[in-house]
Amino acid sequence: MHNEIVSHLNSAVPGCNATAVIAEVGDSSIFVDSAHILKVCEDLATGDWEMHTLQVITGTDYEDRIEVSYVLCSFTKNNELILKVKLPKADTNSVPEIDSVCSVWKAADWQERECYDMVGVIFKNHPNLKRILCPEDWEGWPLRKDYVVAEEYHGMKINPEHKINNADHHFFKKIQETQEDPKKVSFSWKGE
Amino acid sequence: MAIELIENGESIKSDLLTLNMGPQHPATHGVLRVEIKTDSEIVAEAIPHIGYLHRCKEKHSENLDYRGVIPFCDRMDYLAAMSMEWGYALTVEKMLGTEVPRRAEYIRVMVGELQRLASHLMFFGVYAIDLGAFSPFLYAFQKREFILRIFEELSGARLLYNYYWIGGVWNDINDGQLRRIAKFVDEMKTELDKYHTLVGENKIFIDRTANVAKLTPEQIYSYGATGPVMRGSGIKWDLRKDRPYSIYEEFDFDVQVGHGEKGTLGDCWDRYYVRMREMHESIKIIEQCLDGIEEGPVMGKVPKIIKVPEGETYMRTECPRGELGYHLISDGGKTPYRLKVKSSCFTHTSMLGEMAPGQMIADFVATIGSIDIVLGEVDR
Repeated sequence: MHNEIVSHLNSAVPGCNATAVIAEVGDSSIFVDSAHILKVCEDLATGDWEMHTLQVITGTDYEDRIEVSYVLCSFTKNNELILKVKLPKADTNSVPEIDSVCSVWKAADWQERECYDMVGVIFKNHPNLKRILCPEDWEGWPLRKDYVVAEEYHGMKINPEHKINNADHHFFKKIQETQEDPKKVSFSWKGE
Repeated sequence: MAIELIENGESIKSDLLTLNMGPQHPATHGVLRVEIKTDSEIVAEAIPHIGYLHRCKEKHSENLDYRGVIPFCDRMDYLAAMSMEWGYALTVEKMLGTEVPRRAEYIRVMVGELQRLASHLMFFGVYAIDLGAFSPFLYAFQKREFILRIFEELSGARLLYNYYWIGGVWNDINDGQLRRIAKFVDEMKTELDKYHTLVGENKIFIDRTANVAKLTPEQIYSYGATGPVMRGSGIKWDLRKDRPYSIYEEFDFDVQVGHGEKGTLGDCWDRYYVRMREMHESIKIIEQCLDGIEEGPVMGKVPKIIKVPEGETYMRTECPRGELGYHLISDGGKTPYRLKVKSSCFTHTSMLGEMAPGQMIADFVATIGSIDIVLGEVDR
């Protein structure tokens, strides 16, 4: 199926440079050029492949790039397709851009907002690109690998000392200090 | 959208009033805030705001080993925690190629369907409360309590179970429990008919739900809605039937769809009735499980430290509220590199803005109830 879609896409959308990654374990996927994502999606949604539905948009952070996966599915043909694009990052703080596919599926609206919120990808021509799960003034992209939790938010300390439950930690530390082999069963409760 | 009234030849313009429904509101089923622009009693625009229960489960999963993720899956949809775990266990098993023993598969299907019963009973009770009837809630909770008792005996917990493990289930089921389940589902058949007569055929209930918040198949496809919401609009699609996972292909059951008996196709009443009839189908499946359950182990062979081979997979399962999808990307390590959850409630919440305009505020409450969202799964 994937090879057929790749040859179809390469002829239908010139320059999209589709390549299939056939996996031995798990699911195969198709990579396309990020500049042509809108045309590719329009073709898959309205063309013979009948991908009526966008299930989910997953953004994955790698060291040098962000990969955005569009999981499309067809209820008439009973199959699903993982469509991927690579968005290079110039440096760790850069926010890459890609065209929005909101005009193809309405599901893309919230999925793209979540991807923007969590991974930091700007979807161009999105009608309402705002943070969705985090507050609107949140800083940083939580699902990036190099994300560091801020120390303060609106004057409130994040993870204050007195709210962290250290009881277990202290307990095991104490046991390690007082007993040579904490796992050894001593039967000390049995008395003499 | 403001109405222009003409009175004595002079036009009076009305203005839109912004009303916040939630985040603490009994009708929003949790911490959902809906910003409603109303024109007197009529909703002109509704903007759902989510994120009040956001715990960043996906980030947590990246720092936990594959077994450690399971309890976090529970905490997404806390009313159908078993189904959440099942999807995750299947995702990892698909990557590992683990064989699950037959007895474990039977227990999984049976427990999964009991969970569907519990979840739909919850919907039934809470939906009636949303529309102003209190007693159905008590009936539903009484029966749901039995299922929770059984789950408590199986897993040790009432809501957040950690019962489906990678490779099987944690604990075996015994004959006494099976006998009680058999008796329970037998009772439920007549009980469900009673519930439906009590609520579904009630004139007030029909007036409140029929012809309200209709969804066309085009909207369903475009938004990617699944589960009872999709079937309520007459689309015959159920993953258990169309793409059977586990051992669902061995069972005989029907996919229930809406027909628009009381109003138009795809209205609130249809979504309600699809769930009511789905409970009967679940009972059918449980009875077949009870007939066919085999002896044997309940855990397959799984390595002590699970390392999923490099690659990715997308696994869909049919949960009570719709399709749950796990997109797992692995780099070959001990923890998932990325675990994205496709939540059906998230998708359904995004449809509120489309369904609301033109409704009365009271009907909007019926709309939120009919899509049966759990905010834990919306925000994750």
